[in-house]
Parts: sequence; structure tokens; C-alpha cells
Amino acid sequence: MALHSRSVWLGAVAALALTACSGGGEAPADPDAGSEMLSNGLTVKAQIEARQEGFKSVGGEFKTINDQLRSGAPDMAAIQSAAAELPGIIEGAGEWFPEGTGPESGVETEALPIIWEEPEDFEAKVSDFVVAIEALDAAAQTGELSAIQAAVQATGGTCKACHDKYRLDD
Amino acid sequence: MVQGPIRIRVWDWTIRLFHWVLVVLIAAMWWTAEQGYMGWHKWLGLGLVGLLTYRIVWGVIGPETARFLSLFPAPRRLFNYVASLRSPPYVPSIGHNPLGSLSVLALLSVIVLQVGSGLFAVDVDGLFSGWLGRYVSFDLGRMFAEFHETIFNLLVALIGLHVIAIVAYFLILKTNLVGAMITGQQLRDSQPDKYEPVEASPFRVIVSALVGLSAVWLIFSFGG
Repeated sequence: MALHSRSVWLGAVAALALTACSGGGEAPADPDAGSEMLSNGLTVKAQIEARQEGFKSVGGEFKTINDQLRSGAPDMAAIQSAAAELPGIIEGAGEWFPEGTGPESGVETEALPIIWEEPEDFEAKVSDFVVAIEALDAAAQTGELSAIQAAVQATGGTCKACHDKYRLDD
Repeated sequence: MVQGPIRIRVWDWTIRLFHWVLVVLIAAMWWTAEQGYMGWHKWLGLGLVGLLTYRIVWGVIGPETARFLSLFPAPRRLFNYVASLRSPPYVPSIGHNPLGSLSVLALLSVIVLQVGSGLFAVDVDGLFSGWLGRYVSFDLGRMFAEFHETIFNLLVALIGLHVIAIVAYFLILKTNLVGAMITGQQLRDSQPDKYEPVEASPFRVIVSALVGLSAVWLIFSFGG
């Protein structure tokens, strides 16, 4: 009996450990969700994907700038061309979050419903970001490293201000 | 001949220090990532690079119980060991038993992948990246970051298995593995033939530590 209870125990231990690995998966988004048309002519899904693309591009340009700043010898031309891309990418960012493009649409998005509960604050934060991006581009074109660093810091702060409150923390 | 239980040293002091520093650093890495203290996360990660490099060198030139070659359990050894678990009394192995060896190899591999992917990981906003993140594109860096997040689940599962196994050995097989990892000593009913206490040669400790420090220095000077 003792022999068996020992192997049963060990088996139970292994099984318990394995179940600990599973779970934690997210429910897959409904592929047909977000087909409703918005007043700007985009579907909900297209709007969500477009803004995700936009923010992803911002991330890419930001990485380029930060990489250069962190390297011992920043390539000013690379910083300037990345910074020059940014205002165009975020053009119209104030209209990227129309009503109905939150998680309730069924489309996978990290935008939190609180965006539409506190629209004034959200819009103010988006506009801070747009202003900071324009200032960053202007600083980059002066070629002054310390001004660029300060502008990057300031812009990063406006990203964070919004993300902390309005983006799902995964 | 009547002989009581005797204590034999199976873990050298550096492997014990490695183990407990690793425990603290992994906990700290998890916590700093959760809290978003990415600056600290990065510095502690650099510490892990040094620690893991030390362990890898030590796995080649360290004492028998630390060596990777002695950690690869042949299938027959593993099978015999599992069979022996069913027939008491349980006789503890010197150093890692064959099942424990598998666990150590899995844990070390996953931790190396965890730290290695973190070096190249880039956050979604392009604001923060691992030490070597600027050597990869944004998209590739994002893939490293996704992998870094996903494999952490595997690491947690392995750590869970590790802890559960230690509790099981204590409760069922009456073997105190935690004590051994603190004192380095293991109780044994009889001294095995040809047993020599495990010692850390100071020269080899210095060599391994220097390689570990070099890895830290390299990443620090080429990364950022």
C-alpha cells in the first residue's frame, strides 16, 4: 500500500504542476465583429486596425530615435528623418477613437471604455501628445542633441499619461 | 559494521550562492516588470547575464555535481531511478538525481531564453528596449518581447514543479533538499565508495567569475 500511495502522490504532483501551465488564454475575438460602418466611412474594425497601425508606426520611429540617443554617437540624420515622419503618422489622431470602437465592439483592442466616459480628459491628453510630437520634430530639425533629448522625454511622458489611464495594462 | 547517518558535502558554496541569488533576482525581475520599473528591470537583467554566464562556465569546469555532463540523465538511469522511487527505502542521490537533473536542465535553459530574449526585447511604444534592442528592428524586437512574455509562463510552471517536487521529497521521501542547498550537505546512511567532498577550487571560481563579469561588461559597452 505504501508503495502505491507514494507513486500516486508523485503522479498527483506532476499533474498539478502541468495544470498550472494551462489556462490564462484569452478568448479569441469574433472574426465578424466590427463590421458596422462609422460616420467617417470606415468600419469599426478598420478604424481600430488603422489606429493600431498608426501607434505601431509611432513606436517604430520612436525606437529609431531612442536607439540613436542611446548609442555613443547618434546619427542626427536618422533622428531627423524619424522625427519628420511622426507628425504625418499621427495626423488626425484626435479622431482615431470614435464612439463604438472600444472593447464592446468585439474587436480585439486595448482601448479601455473609460476613454468614452471621460472624453474631455482623453481628448486633452491626445492633444498634448500631438503638440509634443510637433515640438519633437521641431527640436530634431535644429540638430541640438540636448533639445532633442528633452523633447523625447516630454513626448514619452505624454504617451505614458494616456496609456496609464486609457490602455489595457497587459 | 554499524554506522549512523553521515553528512557529505554535495554542493559547493558558489553553486549555493548562485541558486539563492537566482531566486532573489527572478523574483525581483518579475516584480519590477509588473510595476513597470523597467530601468531596474534592465539592471537586474544585466546581473542575471553575469550570474548565468558564471553558471555556464561552472557547468564545464566546476565540480562533478555542477557539471552539465553529469546532468544529462541517460534514459536507463532515469528509468531505474523512477522505478526505485516505488520501492522504499529511498536512497538520495549524490548531487542531482536523474529527475532533478532534467528539472535543472529545463530551468536553466528556460532562464537563459528568458534573459536572452529580454536583451533584444522592445516595448510597444518604442520607449524602452533591452540592452541589445537597438541591434534589431522594431518588429523583430516586438517578437522578442512577445516571446519574453510568453516563455515566462513556462518558467513559472517549471518553478512551480520544482517547488512542488521539493515539498514532495520532504513529505513523502523524507529528504530535505532545501537544507542541502543551504548547507551544501546531505545526510546519507553510508559513505559511498570513491566519494570525495565537493569543493570549489578558488582558481576556477575566479576564472568563471571573470568570464561572467566579461559578459556583463561586453553587453554594457555594446548595448544601451
